[in-house]
Amino acid sequence: MLEQLKDIIVNYVEVKKEDIKPESRFIEDLGFTSFDFMSMLGEIEDVMDVEIDQEQVVDIRTVQEAVDYLEKLA
Amino acid sequence: MNELRSTIYELLVKAQEAYGTLDAIRYKVKEAGDGGKKETKVAAKTYTQLRQDSEHFSAALNKLGEQGKHIALVGATSYSWIAGYYGIVNGGSVAVPLDANLPAEDLCELIDRADATTFLYDASKENVALMAAEKCPKLQHLIAMEEETEVPGALSMWNLIAEALQRPDFEPQPEDLAMIMFTSGTTGKSKGVMLTHRNLAENATALDMGYEPGTVLMSVLPIHHAYCLSMDILKGTSVGAVICINDSLLRVAKNIKLFEPNMILMVPLMVETLAKKLEEASLIPAPLVKIKVFGRQFHTICSGGAYLNPAYIDLFKKYGIKILQGYGMTECAPVISANSNSAFKAGSVGRCLPNCEVKIVDEEIWVKGTSVMQGYYQMPEETAQTLEDGWLKTGDLGYIDEDGFLFLTGRKKNLIITPNGENVSPEEIENRIGAHRLVQEVLVRDSEGVIEAEIFPDYEYASKKKIKDLQAQLQSVIDDYNKTAPLYKRVFKLKVRDVEFEKNTTKKIKRF
Repeated sequence: MLEQLKDIIVNYVEVKKEDIKPESRFIEDLGFTSFDFMSMLGEIEDVMDVEIDQEQVVDIRTVQEAVDYLEKLA
Repeated sequence: MNELRSTIYELLVKAQEAYGTLDAIRYKVKEAGDGGKKETKVAAKTYTQLRQDSEHFSAALNKLGEQGKHIALVGATSYSWIAGYYGIVNGGSVAVPLDANLPAEDLCELIDRADATTFLYDASKENVALMAAEKCPKLQHLIAMEEETEVPGALSMWNLIAEALQRPDFEPQPEDLAMIMFTSGTTGKSKGVMLTHRNLAENATALDMGYEPGTVLMSVLPIHHAYCLSMDILKGTSVGAVICINDSLLRVAKNIKLFEPNMILMVPLMVETLAKKLEEASLIPAPLVKIKVFGRQFHTICSGGAYLNPAYIDLFKKYGIKILQGYGMTECAPVISANSNSAFKAGSVGRCLPNCEVKIVDEEIWVKGTSVMQGYYQMPEETAQTLEDGWLKTGDLGYIDEDGFLFLTGRKKNLIITPNGENVSPEEIENRIGAHRLVQEVLVRDSEGVIEAEIFPDYEYASKKKIKDLQAQLQSVIDDYNKTAPLYKRVFKLKVRDVEFEKNTTKKIKRF
């Protein structure tokens, strides 16, 4: 899941895949805007065929937190 | 061709008379398909249904004794929200749209400060209704936007509408108050902007943007914002547009494919993300990328709420998409100027709307005309500081060129305008963070599109408490604050100072 997420992240921000760590924070460290983040989750909905609740994801800060959330849905 | 309307009632009635059988609102519904799996379908309501539903709701509110009273409403964009809003204002009550992202305590404070006697809410805000029932003594009625609600004693908007009561013989007048809309204040306390029917209806209809009836708009911004409410909903209605409701910010791309809009109103943050999507496929010919991302039918983005880098206008032009940049503020109902198909200048925020005039006083933009608010609700001092002889002092700096186009150059007021168009008061955040014992002084500002807090810690306290990693400790202060704040008010950068901030003569921190 982490590797899959990294592949999607590099389409949204200018960062090398090897520089993305589980503890990397989307906005502070990777340079996401809040709307980049929402759009990425929308793409993940399609790729993984899951339904994500916008209100539940506003508190996700790090890559690991996103992985944990998505693993629960899958 | 647009015709000027002076009340929201007139705006809706004329639209219904002209476009009655056309779809006014389209939205997603989930229905069981073949095999029992839920499928997403598009449902629609016509202009005639919208008028009827809103008039029945006006009648129900009148029966409850709510005519002329203040009615707070909160929830995601939905047909119920829109029909409810028209029902409130066209029945002679005052709508108080609230930000669904705010914590329940803040919403209750605003319900109380606005003197609301009814609270209209959607299912996601039942917790607010329960809290408001206890904390807001002026509230007389709770009304759910759905048919059923878990909240004891609450009514259902759709059960009230189903009673199909006769609308009272009443027509709102242009100078009647229609709405109180809260906006961030520079002192940290939000201010209720009072707007009349004339303010809103004339702002929405003064400028002919060249929309044809049946133009498909997709509404993606929060509906409690003046920009969305006025330009998507009121203007959309007045020209017979089909307004499609985007159900989540996660699904903008998917919903573009579903609704096939011609136009979308956006804030710069969205333009930036979509630009990345277009550039991602830079090896494919531009017309094909445009069809893939936006569809063949898409042609215009209206951008407002915050500064947009003009480079995006050129970028989107390559893909056959026009970006029309505008400028406004809630206090001006909200549009002050806008580019249009017939009058366009890149880098400018367009010409002033025909119902208003603009002048520049010591570089500051002042506006006068029928869009300008009546004042801030129960805040005479703040009103007097902002309005002078009918002129609204915008707090923005700019100039008008020889062709009458307005250009923005900066801000006079201390307010952070985030790239998604939210106005954030630094003082509000400073007060919250500064309340922590470890923080001696704090300054909050915008830093490359995100909010930054610079802190001068109380070093004496830190040494007394034997705090070793001050940076980590202060970060946890920020984290605690962030947990209680909506996303757009969160602090994403922290700077720690060794020395006190420089002060001015009144001992206030020098901001610039």
